[in-house]
Amino acid sequence: MADESAFDKKKSHRAKHAGRKAEKKKKKNQLDQSNLSARQRNPKAFAIQSAVRAERQFRRKEDIIAKKQHIPQVDKTPLEPPPIVVAVVGPPRVGKTTVINNLIKSFVKTNVTSINGPVTIVTSKKRRLTLIECNNDVNSMIDIAKCADLVLLLCDASFGFEMEIFEFLNICQVHGMPKIMGVLTHLDMIKNAKTLKTTKKTLKHRFWTEVYAGAKLFYLSGIVHGEYLRNEVKNLSRFISVMKFRPLSWRMTHSYVLGDRMEDVTNQEAIRKDPKISRDVVLYGYVRGVPLMKDSAVHIAGIGDMKISELSHLPDPCPLPSKEKKRHLMERERQIYAPFSGVGGIVYDKDAVYIELKGSHSHKKEDEETNEKKELLKNVVETTETVDEQMQESGFKLFSGGAVIYPDMIKDDEYLQHNNKAQQSSDDSDSEEEDNDSDNDSGIDQSEKDSTKVPWDNDSASEKGDNSASEKEDNEDENKSSDDESEVVDFSSKWKDKLSEKATEAYFERQKTSKNIMRLVYGEFEIGNKNKDKIEDSDESDEEEIGGLFKRVTDTQKKKHKEKETLDVDECSFFYSLNKPTIRDWTSEANKQFLINSFVTGKRSADEDASELLKLDDASDGEDEEMFGDFEDLETGEKHAAEDKNNAKEETGNKRKGEMTKAEILEKKKKLKAKFDSEYDNPDEHRITGDHSYYENLKAEALKQSELNKSVFDNLDNGMRIEVEGFRPGLYVRMLFKNMPAEFVTNFEASYPILIGSLNMAEQNIGYVSCKVKKHRWYKKILKTNDPLIISLGWRRFQTLPIYSKIEDDLKCRYLKYTPEHVTCNMHFYGPITPQNSGFLALQTVTNDPNDIKQLGFRIAATGSVNEINKSTQIVKKLKLVGTPIKIYKKTAFIKDMFNSTLEVAKFEGARIKTVSGIRGQIKKAINKPEGGFRATFEDKIKMSDLVFCRTWFKVDVTRFYAPVVNLLMPVETKNAWQGMKTKGQLKRERNIKYDANNDSMYTDIQRQPAVFKPLVIPKALQKGLPYRFKPKSKITTLSGEAPKDTSKDRVAVVKSPYEQKVTSVMKMLKTNFETKKEVQKQATKERLKAHKRQMDAIEWRKLKRQKELKKKICRTLSKMGNKKKPQM
Amino acid sequence: MPATVQNDALVYKGSNFLRQRLLLSTLSGRSVKIEEIRSTHNDPGLREYEVSLIRLLDKVTNGTRVELSETGTSLFYQPGILIGGQVTHSCSTQRGIGYYLEILLALGPFCKEPLNAVLQGVTHHDLDVSVDKVKTAALPVLLKFILVDDGLELKVVRRGAPPLGGGEVVFRCPVRRHLRPLQWSSWGLVKRIRGIVYALRVSPTMANRVVEAAKGVMLKFLPDVYINTDQCRGPNAGKSPGFGVSLVAETNEKTFYCSEAKSPEAGSGESALPEDIGRECAQRLLDEIYRGGCVDSGCQWLLALWMALGQKDVSECVVGPLSDYTIGFLQHLKEFFGVMFKLEVLRTDDDDSDDEAAPAQRVKMTCVGIGYVNMSKRTM
Repeated sequence: MADESAFDKKKSHRAKHAGRKAEKKKKKNQLDQSNLSARQRNPKAFAIQSAVRAERQFRRKEDIIAKKQHIPQVDKTPLEPPPIVVAVVGPPRVGKTTVINNLIKSFVKTNVTSINGPVTIVTSKKRRLTLIECNNDVNSMIDIAKCADLVLLLCDASFGFEMEIFEFLNICQVHGMPKIMGVLTHLDMIKNAKTLKTTKKTLKHRFWTEVYAGAKLFYLSGIVHGEYLRNEVKNLSRFISVMKFRPLSWRMTHSYVLGDRMEDVTNQEAIRKDPKISRDVVLYGYVRGVPLMKDSAVHIAGIGDMKISELSHLPDPCPLPSKEKKRHLMERERQIYAPFSGVGGIVYDKDAVYIELKGSHSHKKEDEETNEKKELLKNVVETTETVDEQMQESGFKLFSGGAVIYPDMIKDDEYLQHNNKAQQSSDDSDSEEEDNDSDNDSGIDQSEKDSTKVPWDNDSASEKGDNSASEKEDNEDENKSSDDESEVVDFSSKWKDKLSEKATEAYFERQKTSKNIMRLVYGEFEIGNKNKDKIEDSDESDEEEIGGLFKRVTDTQKKKHKEKETLDVDECSFFYSLNKPTIRDWTSEANKQFLINSFVTGKRSADEDASELLKLDDASDGEDEEMFGDFEDLETGEKHAAEDKNNAKEETGNKRKGEMTKAEILEKKKKLKAKFDSEYDNPDEHRITGDHSYYENLKAEALKQSELNKSVFDNLDNGMRIEVEGFRPGLYVRMLFKNMPAEFVTNFEASYPILIGSLNMAEQNIGYVSCKVKKHRWYKKILKTNDPLIISLGWRRFQTLPIYSKIEDDLKCRYLKYTPEHVTCNMHFYGPITPQNSGFLALQTVTNDPNDIKQLGFRIAATGSVNEINKSTQIVKKLKLVGTPIKIYKKTAFIKDMFNSTLEVAKFEGARIKTVSGIRGQIKKAINKPEGGFRATFEDKIKMSDLVFCRTWFKVDVTRFYAPVVNLLMPVETKNAWQGMKTKGQLKRERNIKYDANNDSMYTDIQRQPAVFKPLVIPKALQKGLPYRFKPKSKITTLSGEAPKDTSKDRVAVVKSPYEQKVTSVMKMLKTNFETKKEVQKQATKERLKAHKRQMDAIEWRKLKRQKELKKKICRTLSKMGNKKKPQM
Repeated sequence: MPATVQNDALVYKGSNFLRQRLLLSTLSGRSVKIEEIRSTHNDPGLREYEVSLIRLLDKVTNGTRVELSETGTSLFYQPGILIGGQVTHSCSTQRGIGYYLEILLALGPFCKEPLNAVLQGVTHHDLDVSVDKVKTAALPVLLKFILVDDGLELKVVRRGAPPLGGGEVVFRCPVRRHLRPLQWSSWGLVKRIRGIVYALRVSPTMANRVVEAAKGVMLKFLPDVYINTDQCRGPNAGKSPGFGVSLVAETNEKTFYCSEAKSPEAGSGESALPEDIGRECAQRLLDEIYRGGCVDSGCQWLLALWMALGQKDVSECVVGPLSDYTIGFLQHLKEFFGVMFKLEVLRTDDDDSDDEAAPAQRVKMTCVGIGYVNMSKRTM
């Protein structure tokens, strides 16, 4: 052993000190390895070993990348986003209110005693939250799921997940999944540490299967003094404040407002007279989603479609802190806003927001301080409108009793003077119209203008002076008017003036260019909040007037005349509509100058001119060469040539006009070159990467668009911006709804969310909606066609009568009486038009009757999405018409009972028919005798006993029934018990109506008559041809022709005597015995034979074996002999 | 003429802009009521061509309800769902096919089935854009919005001059779920001029003379001028004699300006020299080029429509001076869709150019699309 181990000792490694390998190693170690990439350090490891594996690797990588990619969406979040809606959802008595309370406390350090409705709080410099609690009503759950950005799903850990949780998750899935965070409460109820652990684990995994694996689940371990543990709440709030959101497609196409304040502004007197009178209700809230257009229709969930009669924005009641500095020491940062909960109610009563409601109900007596504040705030509100508009409006009287003079009149006067049309305007507004007219025709009529002037150029030089003059006037006037104002409201308007001065200047700058043309097109449109003011004015004067957008203040005779002229003009989309002007002669040299540069042959601007660019190119190349000689660092791709560049710039800068662009181009070129070089030189970039350029381009496009969306209206003043863009998300708006049902106000309950969703074009219309639908697998029953169903689709919840159908292979919708199980089917209903692919869910009831819920278990009956919208439907039911033949000729038959009249037959002429036995035919023509009978031809002769079918389709109409769920109008106690149309079954059960079953449908014993067949008669001719054995023989014919005697009849029954009987029985026994013996012998012989055969086989086998052995032996000896012989040979 | 709202239907007065109103009503789904249609005229009520338009709209929609008063001076139109598909319509010869074709062009992308319309009538008319102009100037604009040309096509099968017409065109349009927002602010320089001269039931020399004259003018500006002649014979030449020309200027940014001129109607007593027609057309084209903008002035309203119907994103385009029709259309757009354009007159940066080569007043139109989606399209 010992020597063996010594023998086994390995030779130790000796590093080479000389030779090729050593040199290589030395060389390798000389380089600094530390900052090399792994790839550079060890290139061999990264080399492609196997092409197949490399391909697989690459493919896998690309798969992973492709999985991560989403279709890039244009980011529509505004610069100042609306508060994030955080909904707290869960079954009752799970600790929802406590969570909200604790969150508020942790964010804004205030205790709120009673929470009712949404609470908006400021959580950080850039984020606000609207916390809302969801009560235990499926209606509220649906509305909350439609508007929540983040859902805190509370669950009592000691009980486990309840049905409400799953229902809510399903609702969310249908309406666009918001972010969901689970929160387990009541963990202190579980005493045993081990059960606690397992409960947590099982609940977590159940939650993960429902939401997604890895979804966040919080544990609130217990309540101390009625509050959750501070650090746990803190943790939760931290998670909330860093949450990111992905846009949901429905909310990225619709704007919506979660109402957080409601005021009834109906005249109190009218209410006193008639308490049921339709109310004027004002709702407030932040705009969310996309910009809200002024005159868009909205749907208020739980009430119905409404029209916003006034829409205006208010200063933010809960602004982000970073926006502006405090102006007043008294002014505290408002961190919480919850009008329904009455948080700081007194404070808010004195707030600017409430001053809006002047004269409506409260605030009759206010102290001086509040008045002063009000004045200030009112001014602030007004400055958010355009100053220009105010200027335009502010008129003054020169003489008491004289006409009020407005600024634009002065302007017009000026204009008129300039044109030497010193026409004494008896009516000031008349002249205004004149001005507008000359604007309106966009200068097409060139009678006033000299021939060289381009006909449409409505602000050419001659007018320009005029304009500027009038603008000066304007400015003067502005001063005047502001003076006027300052007399009236002394201190407040001063600071306002300062504030507005800058704005005014900037505004006029812009308006010079943009306002004119916009006014030309849109007339005197109202900007921003003006609408509201007008209404208020009219309110004061007790006039009911709807502020039409295009309503002019003064409608003069002349205008009307002009309108009348244009009333019936033929429509023509040409530039010179009907009157053809003489176009200026473009071939003349003078005019040619205007045009020549519009062609590729003309001179171009400096940055496009090819020759210039070429020159630049040469110059830059020269520079480049120099640079490359000296400076360029190949590795980094960086170039140290700043000085040179500057020089070049200066040199070229002196040459000619437009050199700035040239320098820029140079710069750009250099950058591009540097980029190219760095890419080209850097070997790392040489690796094969997939081509993601398509995706990258899409992404870049979306990014560009979102930047444009954000920036394009930045320089526009707010009122105009709202006019063009709509009320962008994040603005706090006030919406006035007229003719709101009184029940909304009288039965108002703040804990029910008020979701006001805007409807896009055509979505307020009603039509037939076709969708695909699947019965929920947890719903116990199947759904029946034409049973009322409550559907939540888009913003709406409504009841309707659906018809289920199946799309056949030929795209025909075949009526189904019941929904199939576990498969999608088609569904048609009459309801609001909603864009395709929007998801919906269906419920059979929304009442919260605990018994009902218990019986149902799971309330969501079906889910699906919209396929198609139409104004008519094409659902068909299979119909078999049955007829019977009256008379049959060869292949023609007359059929009756299929139709009732000749007319019906006429409609079905040429239709295919078929007998039960499968003989096909065609309807030919009606006959007159039995009414509704017809002639038909078949491919073969049919039988009288055949039934004839005609298979057709019967169109089923969808019932036009659509009823919105108006649960917000219900009394408080029955708010969660809206009951619409009942199903027939329900009604029958309630009233105990029992129908007599149709006798035909009853199951009865089938009484079958034994079939009686006629005797088989074989024709004689056939008989002749038959072989003898098939010939019927029973009937023997005799020569005489008379029937032979039946021999069997003549037989006599044998009756044996007892002795004979005995003999017979003995004989029988003997015979049996003999037979058995024979049988046994036969068996024995068989056995013997078998044994013998076996024996013989064995002998044979032995013999064979012996022979084999013998053969073997012989062969061996033979081969031995052969071997012996071989060496000798 | 501003509209008043009467239980959710817009009420207008007068027959002017009837086509716009019906079009926008169909797209927006809002009912429209038009009163006092030529009530003070000698022959009050709707004209034949307007009735024909309503019939066409009825053909491409499902569920449209039209109510005409007894005198024909008042019309109530409740639009249905756009269906599209195979449509054959013989247009009134009082107006050109362009009158109807423009409507179909505007509706085309929003149908349920791809539109395949056969229109018969007058292909070239004084009051309406000719089919050539629609083909050369308007289709490229639509293409910018739908991006992929899968079956957008306008084929002139036969030409027909007024008064009898006899022309036929086939218009195919693919459907889209929504249009893309478009930013288009440079239109480049005119690089080539093409044209087509048609002569129906007149001597072929007419066409050649028109070509000569038109070319004579255009060659002063650009060498790349090529004008085709379309010599129609037999049934292809329609029912009335006439000739005319349409010229197209293409820029290197794929903007197409188109102008056209045609001989006066046969039987009207007027007559025109072919040379005059050619020159007139060329002058008009130059005028169009001078006005500039990213689209031809006749397509401004279509551009505005498609911009407004885009997704909820900003679209930005620069056009030449607004035509009256466009102004009217923008007003109607505001009334029907509540979309308002931001319009800015672009000034040239350097003031010294004012005296020598003042370009026409260019207008930058900016708007946020209303997020219009094709409600009729079917998804599976």
